[in-house]
Amino acid sequence: MDSDQIVDIIIGEIRETVPELADRPIGRGDSMADLGVDSIERSEIILATLEAVGLKVPMVQLHGPRNIGELADLIDAKKSG
Amino acid sequence: MPRKAADPIRFAGIGVASGLGHGRAAFREGLFAGRNVFSELKREGREAPEGEQPFLGVEMPEPPAVLPPRVDRTATLTGRVAASVLAEAWEDAGLDAIAPERIGLVVGGSNLATRERALALVEYWEKRAFVRPRHGHMFLDTDLCGLCTAAFPIRGFAMTVGGASASGAVAIVEARNAIRSGRVDACIALGAMQDLGGHDLQALRALGAMGSDRFSDVPEKACRPMDADHDGFLYGEAAAALVLCRESVGLSKTYGTLLGAASIADGTRGPEPNHEGQIRAARMALAEAGLAAADIDHVNGHATGTPSGDDTELETYRALGLHHTRINATKSILGHGLAAAGAIETAAVLVQMAEGRLHPTRNLETPIDPGFKWVGVAPVEQKIGHALKFSFGFGGVNAALVIGAPEASR
Repeated sequence: MDSDQIVDIIIGEIRETVPELADRPIGRGDSMADLGVDSIERSEIILATLEAVGLKVPMVQLHGPRNIGELADLIDAKKSG
Repeated sequence: MPRKAADPIRFAGIGVASGLGHGRAAFREGLFAGRNVFSELKREGREAPEGEQPFLGVEMPEPPAVLPPRVDRTATLTGRVAASVLAEAWEDAGLDAIAPERIGLVVGGSNLATRERALALVEYWEKRAFVRPRHGHMFLDTDLCGLCTAAFPIRGFAMTVGGASASGAVAIVEARNAIRSGRVDACIALGAMQDLGGHDLQALRALGAMGSDRFSDVPEKACRPMDADHDGFLYGEAAAALVLCRESVGLSKTYGTLLGAASIADGTRGPEPNHEGQIRAARMALAEAGLAAADIDHVNGHATGTPSGDDTELETYRALGLHHTRINATKSILGHGLAAAGAIETAAVLVQMAEGRLHPTRNLETPIDPGFKWVGVAPVEQKIGHALKFSFGFGGVNAALVIGAPEASR
């Protein structure tokens, strides 16, 4: 699994959590905040992604990324590391 | 003549959901037809232990979606049904006419979503690291208050009250109190859907409260309140929202007036019924209404179909002198809605008042006590002036409501 596959998982979880975004193009450069995802929804999306990739890390270790691509890179790095 | 309150409190809107369907039209039609909706329970998480008879009862169709999809997907079934009955009652009463700060919400019921909670536990116990954060606010029954007040302009107050199987009636009592105290001008009493799982159902069966062994192969005959062949209550999914308001606030609809209401404790810890508590609650409600038992022309029983519950309630009817009045049991049609029962059965009283007709009591073929004027398996035409509604709950909760027809109480 690479960062692009994790991006696909994150985007799938975003569309599931916020049905209004079903038809909106979403890519690595988008941030969840800009997409209108609220903070609880963001936590839900990240937990669901972690479950999908099988990575157990405390949520605080995933603060910092400014967009979906950076979040996927960070999850990918933690998974590899 | 009933006592005239300075500013009586009346029922101005109804929203209902049950095995008969969603909305007042399906409710009315199904009640008077005495339509059978009992079958084996099929919803995920309601499986009986291996090798045992499936649980019998009533499940409702999928509720109409009234919440935005983004919110809807996060709500429990109990929450989605609550929003649906609230939407119907809101529109029926025309609550938009009242300032949000003058509207309150009392949700009756506790531990409402145990089926979904058990399913989530089974799925996530071994991988607790991935428990969804939203569970942190959803496991509280008061999530229903948040869900409903976020979707509707209710800004007076919102809370839950528990009274076991009397919760719906207790919610009506507390909504009445909130209006009477001046806290709000209108208040919704919402008997919430108690979503039982197989764990709960099995315990209720083991406790001897839930039937039915006798009619395990014929679900349509299994629920028999006040009949000699009764052997326990049958669960039925249900929910109801009732809008109560002060007469003077000017909502146009009037289903009936709440002339008297009482909810008292009898000092019982467990499921055992107590006729002294039942009698005291009824006498308090009647006294508040300024009525005698002789003035009551319809009794809607708690009447679950458990042998000790029915026997105790009959003792109460005898002590109060209710031999002259027509009695029926809404649970014979809907099953036992537990938290919702008191609210949806009060809705049944109001619908019967409006129609001048009493719904049948399914399966009441051989009344345990034929000395009462039962409404049997056929409906009865009768104008109702004053109705007495009973609701009892485990833990010694006894509630009684006296409701006057719009014309009788003016």
